[in-house]
Amino acid sequence: MAKVCSSNAFVRLGRPRQILLFWIAIAFLAAGGLAHSQEAQDLSERPVPILTGSAGYFTNVTAGENALTPVVMPVILVPIGERWLVETRGNFSAEFERPEGGGAYGGKVEKNLDYLQLDFIANPHLTVTAGRFLTPFGIYNERLYPIWIRDLQVTPLIFPIATGSSDGVMLRGGFPVSSSVNLNYATYFSTASTVTAFESDRTIGGRVGFFFPRPRIEIGTSWQKLLQDERRQSEGFHFAWQPPPIPLNLRFEYARGHSGSGYWVEGAYRFSQVQTWNSVMRRTEFVGRMQQFFAGEGDVSTNSDSEYHLPHSNVQQPDFGLNYYIKDGLKASASYGRWLGKHNYNVWSFGIAYRFAIPLGRSESQ
Amino acid sequence: MRVSLILSLVLISALYGSAYSRNRESVNAAVTQRNPDNEAKRVEGEQRFRANCGRCHAAPQKFPPRMMSTIVRHMRVRATITDDDMKLILLYMTQ
Repeated sequence: MAKVCSSNAFVRLGRPRQILLFWIAIAFLAAGGLAHSQEAQDLSERPVPILTGSAGYFTNVTAGENALTPVVMPVILVPIGERWLVETRGNFSAEFERPEGGGAYGGKVEKNLDYLQLDFIANPHLTVTAGRFLTPFGIYNERLYPIWIRDLQVTPLIFPIATGSSDGVMLRGGFPVSSSVNLNYATYFSTASTVTAFESDRTIGGRVGFFFPRPRIEIGTSWQKLLQDERRQSEGFHFAWQPPPIPLNLRFEYARGHSGSGYWVEGAYRFSQVQTWNSVMRRTEFVGRMQQFFAGEGDVSTNSDSEYHLPHSNVQQPDFGLNYYIKDGLKASASYGRWLGKHNYNVWSFGIAYRFAIPLGRSESQ
Repeated sequence: MRVSLILSLVLISALYGSAYSRNRESVNAAVTQRNPDNEAKRVEGEQRFRANCGRCHAAPQKFPPRMMSTIVRHMRVRATITDDDMKLILLYMTQ
């Protein structure tokens, strides 16, 4: 209730005062950063711009229909001085399918600008980001989305809830609150935009997480308020655990929005401790995921530009997959899932993903 | 046409990256020889790497120091890594 009241009070201030207050807060926090020593750079070499990202090619078979899916996601990182970073990611993907009645594969290439942001590391506790950025809601959108990282190429059912990209300003950071707990946070304001490649909604939101390094557990929660149309609200919760003795990665995410709610829980086990055929087994990973979506009363087609959509009815989907890490940054993936909704069908995915990193300048020490 | 174009892009980036990774192995070896006295910090850095970065992805091959500086700055923002963790991870990834 207190949160709602303070939120309403902030809204009642009016836009010019909100903006003034916001920039006063940023100036205050940034001023603290000016006293911050250059210690962070002592261990570093002078950074060089990089072209990195991932590329992949997948064959997806959904309900018996083939789709060839090439994906290229280039990322450009341009460090400026000791505290600034310009970063951007494009997303070029397609789903080439045969037309009904046969013929050559064809389809439209989707081109998206996932982020184009300027980061200012104000101090050890705060980074100020302006521009277009990935909406910090849950953990999938910001951390697990790149095809070379995700354990299963099929995105979770709840992925469209409160994620995507936002245009505006974000404050974020991470710092230890005790010897055994690190806190990380992100809070943002996004403006409404209908400019091509910069589409976004007018929203405000944030995420906070607590990471316990010793047991390698992270728990966190996310929140977003839409400041337009029906002014709907979304909430989320995430949990991740890597039990240190075994190469197992467990993740869980729950999200609830106007259009529905759901969760996914995923486990990925790397067979690196298996001694038989160890050279092969240590490169092999088994993944299992269970997820459910419960349709709400809202319209699911809120953003027709997005390539991701929520289901229109209740769905559950178990998925199983295998990843084989051929070499650094190169992996082959295969997975099978079963869509269990109004109609039941199989979801297969096979493909290969590659992560590249190329310096745009002299990369060796000077 | 579009399929060929995208496939070509994928292939070119893969070939370039493969050739580049061979070059950087020699650079990494040279860096290791220059910093033989930071073993304790390096071990701590490895632990921080596994705890922070390993939550999302497998350990990548090490990059040259100037590239790592950029990558760590990017990941500091993206993964909200703490200042201390960032320093030790950078040390580990450049040794």
